[in-house]
Amino acid sequence: MPNQPDLQLWLILFFPLLGALINGTLGRRLPKTVISAIAIGTVALSFLWVVRSLSELGQLDKPHIERYFNSIASGDLKIGFDLSVDRLSSIMLLVVTGVGTLIHVYAVGYMDHEEGFWRFFSYLNLFMFFMLILVLAQNFLLLFVGWEGVGLCSYLLIGFYFLEKFAGDAAKKAFIVNRVGDFGFSLAMLLMVVQFGSLDMTTVFSTASKLPVETSGGVVTAVALLLVVGACGKSAQVPLYVWLPDAMAGPTPVSALIHAATMVTAGVYVVARSSEVFLKAPVAMEVVAVIGMITAVVAALIGTAQNDIKKVFAYSTVSQLGYMFVGLGVGAFSAGIFHVVTHAFFKALLFLGAGSVIHALHGEQDLSNMGGLRSKIPIMYWTLMTAAVAIAGVWPFAGFHSKDAILLAAHAHAPWMYWVGVVTAGLTAFYVFRAMFLCFFGEYRGKAHPHESPAIMYMPLVVLALLSVGGGYLPVMDWLAPLYPAHEHPHDMSLILISVGFAMAGIFAAYYIYVLNPGSADGYAKSLGGVYRAIAGKFYVDEAYDAAIVHPIEQGSRAVLLDGVEDVVVQGGVGATVGVTRWTGGMLRLLQSGNIRSYAVYALLGAVIFLGVMASSGGAR
Amino acid sequence: MGTNVMPSGEELLRFLPEMILAIFAVLVMLWESRHDEHGERPGMPAFALIGLGLAAAASIVAGAAPGYAFRNMLVVDSFATFFRLLLMGIGAMAVMTASPFLRARKAEGGEYYSLILLSLIGQSLMAASNELIMVFIGIEISSISSYVLAGYLKDDKRVNESALKYFLLGSFATGFLLYGVSWIYGLTGSTNLNEIASILGNADIAPDAVLTGAATALILAGLCFKVSAFPFQSWAPDVYQGAATPVGAFLSAAPKAAAFATLLRVFLTAFDPMADRWLPLLIVVALLTMVIGNLAALWQTDVKRILGYSSIANAGYVLVAVAAHSTLGISAVLFYLAAYSVMNFGAFAVVSLREETELKDFEGLAKRQPATAALMTVFMASLIGLPMTAGFFGKFYIFQSAIDAELYWLAGLGLLTSAVAAFYYLRVIAAMYMKPSPEGAPEMAVPAASQQAVMFVAAALTIGFGIFPGWLLDWATRSSGLLR
Amino acid sequence: MYLLIALFLPLVVFLACLTALRKSQQMAFTASLFAAGVSLLASLAMIPEVMQNPTKLSQATSVNWIPYPPIHFSVGVDGLSLWLIAVTALLTVVAVVMSSGRDSMFLGWLLLLEAGIVGVFAAQDLFLFFVFFELTLLPVLFLMGQYGKDSGKATSMGATIKFFVFTFAGSVLMLAAMTYLFLKAGTFDYQNILLQVQAGSFRLSPAEQMPLFLAFFLAFAVKTPLFPFHAWQADAYATAPSPLGIVMAGLMGKLGTYGLLRFCLPLFPNAARECAGWINGLAILAILYGALVAIVQPNIKRLLAFSSLSHLGFVVLGIFSFHINGLDGAAYQMVCHAVTTGALFVLAGVLEERKGSCEISAFGGLASRTPWLATTFLIAALASSGLPALNNFVGEYLILQGAAFAGFGYAAAAGIGVILSAVYLLWMYQRTFLGPNPDEATADLSTQEAIAIGPLIVLMIWMGVSSGNFLPVQSAVNQKILQQTKMNVEFRVAAPVAAEAVHGN
Repeated sequence: MPNQPDLQLWLILFFPLLGALINGTLGRRLPKTVISAIAIGTVALSFLWVVRSLSELGQLDKPHIERYFNSIASGDLKIGFDLSVDRLSSIMLLVVTGVGTLIHVYAVGYMDHEEGFWRFFSYLNLFMFFMLILVLAQNFLLLFVGWEGVGLCSYLLIGFYFLEKFAGDAAKKAFIVNRVGDFGFSLAMLLMVVQFGSLDMTTVFSTASKLPVETSGGVVTAVALLLVVGACGKSAQVPLYVWLPDAMAGPTPVSALIHAATMVTAGVYVVARSSEVFLKAPVAMEVVAVIGMITAVVAALIGTAQNDIKKVFAYSTVSQLGYMFVGLGVGAFSAGIFHVVTHAFFKALLFLGAGSVIHALHGEQDLSNMGGLRSKIPIMYWTLMTAAVAIAGVWPFAGFHSKDAILLAAHAHAPWMYWVGVVTAGLTAFYVFRAMFLCFFGEYRGKAHPHESPAIMYMPLVVLALLSVGGGYLPVMDWLAPLYPAHEHPHDMSLILISVGFAMAGIFAAYYIYVLNPGSADGYAKSLGGVYRAIAGKFYVDEAYDAAIVHPIEQGSRAVLLDGVEDVVVQGGVGATVGVTRWTGGMLRLLQSGNIRSYAVYALLGAVIFLGVMASSGGAR
Repeated sequence: MGTNVMPSGEELLRFLPEMILAIFAVLVMLWESRHDEHGERPGMPAFALIGLGLAAAASIVAGAAPGYAFRNMLVVDSFATFFRLLLMGIGAMAVMTASPFLRARKAEGGEYYSLILLSLIGQSLMAASNELIMVFIGIEISSISSYVLAGYLKDDKRVNESALKYFLLGSFATGFLLYGVSWIYGLTGSTNLNEIASILGNADIAPDAVLTGAATALILAGLCFKVSAFPFQSWAPDVYQGAATPVGAFLSAAPKAAAFATLLRVFLTAFDPMADRWLPLLIVVALLTMVIGNLAALWQTDVKRILGYSSIANAGYVLVAVAAHSTLGISAVLFYLAAYSVMNFGAFAVVSLREETELKDFEGLAKRQPATAALMTVFMASLIGLPMTAGFFGKFYIFQSAIDAELYWLAGLGLLTSAVAAFYYLRVIAAMYMKPSPEGAPEMAVPAASQQAVMFVAAALTIGFGIFPGWLLDWATRSSGLLR
Repeated sequence: MYLLIALFLPLVVFLACLTALRKSQQMAFTASLFAAGVSLLASLAMIPEVMQNPTKLSQATSVNWIPYPPIHFSVGVDGLSLWLIAVTALLTVVAVVMSSGRDSMFLGWLLLLEAGIVGVFAAQDLFLFFVFFELTLLPVLFLMGQYGKDSGKATSMGATIKFFVFTFAGSVLMLAAMTYLFLKAGTFDYQNILLQVQAGSFRLSPAEQMPLFLAFFLAFAVKTPLFPFHAWQADAYATAPSPLGIVMAGLMGKLGTYGLLRFCLPLFPNAARECAGWINGLAILAILYGALVAIVQPNIKRLLAFSSLSHLGFVVLGIFSFHINGLDGAAYQMVCHAVTTGALFVLAGVLEERKGSCEISAFGGLASRTPWLATTFLIAALASSGLPALNNFVGEYLILQGAAFAGFGYAAAAGIGVILSAVYLLWMYQRTFLGPNPDEATADLSTQEAIAIGPLIVLMIWMGVSSGNFLPVQSAVNQKILQQTKMNVEFRVAAPVAAEAVHGN
């Protein structure tokens, strides 16, 4: 784009990468202050550069593209290192770098006592680098680079406490489940090239937009669905959500940054980015909506029965991502992205808050060992409450606006989705406040001596708290409006009231059970019986996967392939060939009796055969 | 034909090599008798070598002017010359390997050398004979001295047994041959190869096909025995293993080469008109010879015996080239025989350093005698047919001629059996390099100068022909034109 | 000139190591390092000339070797062989560095191996190609048989003989096929034959092509190896001494895939296209089978053996996709896999040296004490598992793209292999470096080991980030090869052509 100003977008990526490299190589010898300065500084710089670039770009009526160098060129296929900013990515950029900076600041306090401080921050910066590639990518391959890169950093950070076995397992699980999603994503790319002859988003989308709408499936639908598979992996949607709860094995700032605010929303981002494709594939849209719906409900249900505070919020994240998918699926792309933004605020806040609580209790994560902390760590209490209210979707907090935008769109698309949505909203309010009450109300049930966190940890929380309150008034949807077809549906007051009603009901239920008459919970649980056990057992999905996939593969490979095919067929085949050859040799060798008479007989026989052959051949003439 | 019985000078010249050999065979024995029983008898090998050298020189001179001799009984053409020189070379190696070997066993006698020379007379006659009677005489001279050679080192039981086998079966086979010859004479009234060819080639006067076929079959059988081709191969391993190692080396090289020379000359001149009848048979024989040689060798644990079987397999390869029935094929045969004699003799020379020749006796050799092990490796690599060795090009030329003759199946299967062969040659290398030397392994005789000379020259030639096969092939090609 | 240096200097030093330097190990090491280093520089010096015109033969030398049959010592470099030769030289340097302290013979054999492999990539005469192809067996025979260590049931001697006889038997028929070509074309000179094909003066009927193709294919399939011809592989990799493992795992397989790409496609287009279906089937089998078996391998080197089986399956799939993306991917992947697997074997060697074994169960929790070892290992493992921004990704992506053109099913099936590669590599990494009971004893990378591994890591990232510096020269040659597969083709197989049509618009 010659006429547009060259904004050196690459600098946005470069700063965090630089930080990662410095801390990664020299980190072990640097003092913590320097490490943290580098880590925060680089991210802050790229945030500033984002702000500067966006202010330069102004209205962004058409995307600003910067092409650097040709990365892959094979035949007609040319894939460059191209970055672009449009209205959608601009929002993501702000969220990622903004929230990212805050969390880096917080992490400095949180990780203070950890060894491997340097390692942590180089990973974290590396994550920022890949996440920004993902957001800025102008073609799907580059996007995939970021996509897998963030997956890698997630792997490294989940496994940060690698001396603990569960950390290693969780990390591996996350990476591999994501690989399943990426498999879909890469197939989508392959199909794009076959169909559209390019991976450049501008080309792909313009080509797609010219195609007719595929009412009953087709190639475009296939592309869309494959993208959905990828999105399901990254954004922890049914059936690939199982890795996210385990991912909580990582340090809490990681959970906040990667597994709540940014990376997990990549799936939503990709779908929104590819709206041109999805709009041609209503089937795929429907799939997205349904997947989102199921995920939202399932995760919310499981969330009600978790005792690990981080697990509660993890399932809540899954559930909220489900909401976003519903938004996308029903065509309210802007609403979905809007929810990404607000969710980034309040969910990051929830995690950081939870982190502070855990920090305050010296690593205690079990809700049943908390309680009554309201007075002991008031700042945490208030900030967390804001987040809780926000996620519950109470007017005028951030969550309210985005969630209702989605629910209204859902209602316009199919009323039943609305109703499932509001019920889930009630559940959400319930489990979040359940956690709140268990944590801050009643008697303190733990042993550790809680203490308020240092300023460096609660300042970010305060900022996020403010955003969680006012974030709902950010003009995100209007900003995105030009990108997507207008969604006309009456601003029906009753629907809004209903959803808020459900939220309040959820909160009250939690208050009733956990504050008014504590200990009654178990009673209710019993009365639910099997249903409760199923919920508490996370519907045994992990067990099912182990039984249906992991075990068959491992056992099958060992028993059938290694001991069977490899040893019997392949090696055995060779052995058999050798055996037969040697056996023949052995038989022939037996002729070699060493006995002259038999030799003479052979010779005679041979001569006779010769005679016979030659004579007969003569006769045949 | 003319009536003068007195052979002309150039005719005598064409017979000179044999005469020289004969003279020296006698001289060696005279020289020996001048010394007492027990004392050292130096100089006999030298005598023999001088004789061989002169004979070789004579062959070159004679070869310079090709032609017939003694009423077309002998023909001295480039083909014959090639074989004469090859045979002299083999003889030289046989002498040089043997003398330290025999000395070590207190068994060095003039008769050994003279026997070598005598059998060479027969063999170079075979290569040059243009006449079935001459063929028979040559074979007999060669064989009889070979039988005695095989029985050299009388006091060793195995030796005697193998000598007896060799003698009985050998004469058995010569019987076939002679019988076939007489039939042919009966049928065509001639024993001269060219005349036979012209008669068989002329449909009007050609005798009954069945009978000629039968006669040819008998002659073929006789020669197949001499080259140890299936189904007449059974004696070979026993004899080569049983005989004293240098003798085994000689027997596996010289008589074979001569027999192949005869096979080529007789069947490509006399019986060429009926080639379409004996070729199919020869193809089958070639294939089976390769198969039995290579497969049976897989089981052997004695290196000498392995070499015995390998000599059968190699005979099979050569037969493939014969079956190609083309000048390309002939030159391939010549090249391969030369290459094979060198590498095979080298291998035997190494083996001759040891009393016991089981594989296990070679274990850890690389540690104890790296040079010897390295040389052995060269010979084995060449027998396997690895690039950069004479054996590789030999095989290549052979199978090229086969493919050229559109014998695709023969070529393919032959190559596969040669791949199988890699296994048993590798076992020798493996024993030397990949096994530790067993406890209290007897220290291996340090090769004497002459033996080293043989081994190093053989290795040098093996690699030399492997990298620059050009001139040898050139010579072989030039010698492939039979004087018809 | 440069090429001849890269080819002959190692040979000279090999001879020296066998003779003069036999006793003086130190000097032998210095000499070998010098030879390997210089031939690396020489191979790098060839880059500019090849870059100028990748499809033309650079550094071409042709001298009559044997009058009849007319065999020329004819070597040259083009875009396809350039990087392969360079990486061969590089890995040899690495291998030599990793075998300091080994005796002179060992180093000598390594150099002979280098010469042989470079020769294969440079040979422009079919016969010469075969000579080099077989010549590589000799050094392996001694390196593996003499210096290998038994692993479980497999003795190094058994593995050696198995490897030797297997590959030897595989290749003999190729010689027969080459001879047939010679007798028909009147020359062994490959370029000359291709010219005749171009001119149409040399044609092979489909009936002729099939047996010839199969003879070539067998030789290369065993060498690569391609499922189910891989019986020799695991034992060989497991018993081979680590420096040999580096070269063998890194480069030997490429001899096969290179042969397929360089000879089988242009010479026998009909047969190749006709067989593409089931060959791709075998390739996919190799990909999935190798990956699945790798998951349950208890030994690092065996695991790497099966991962190679899987990865080279990708290469074959790319070649027989008959699409430029596939060919490019295959060519690129050959180099990438050499770098990555080479690095993994260096590290496996380090681990083995530390613990005296490559059984995964012998390790655990290393990362805390050996951060550099762990990091480099992780990078190599991730590269091998096709992580974007690392080298193998580019190759695998292009291969899958090509396969997608040939038939989307191929790509989908092969894609599963990418998932599995993450499974076995990360699991191995976890069991080796992560987990409780940190290993206090084990030492981190030594300087020398770091020197060996460093350049490989750099290459992984460089080749992953900007394939633009490497791929174009290969791509140019592949374009030409693809053209050649369309010359004098009596019939066309529908699928790939159709795919190209789609690709065209």
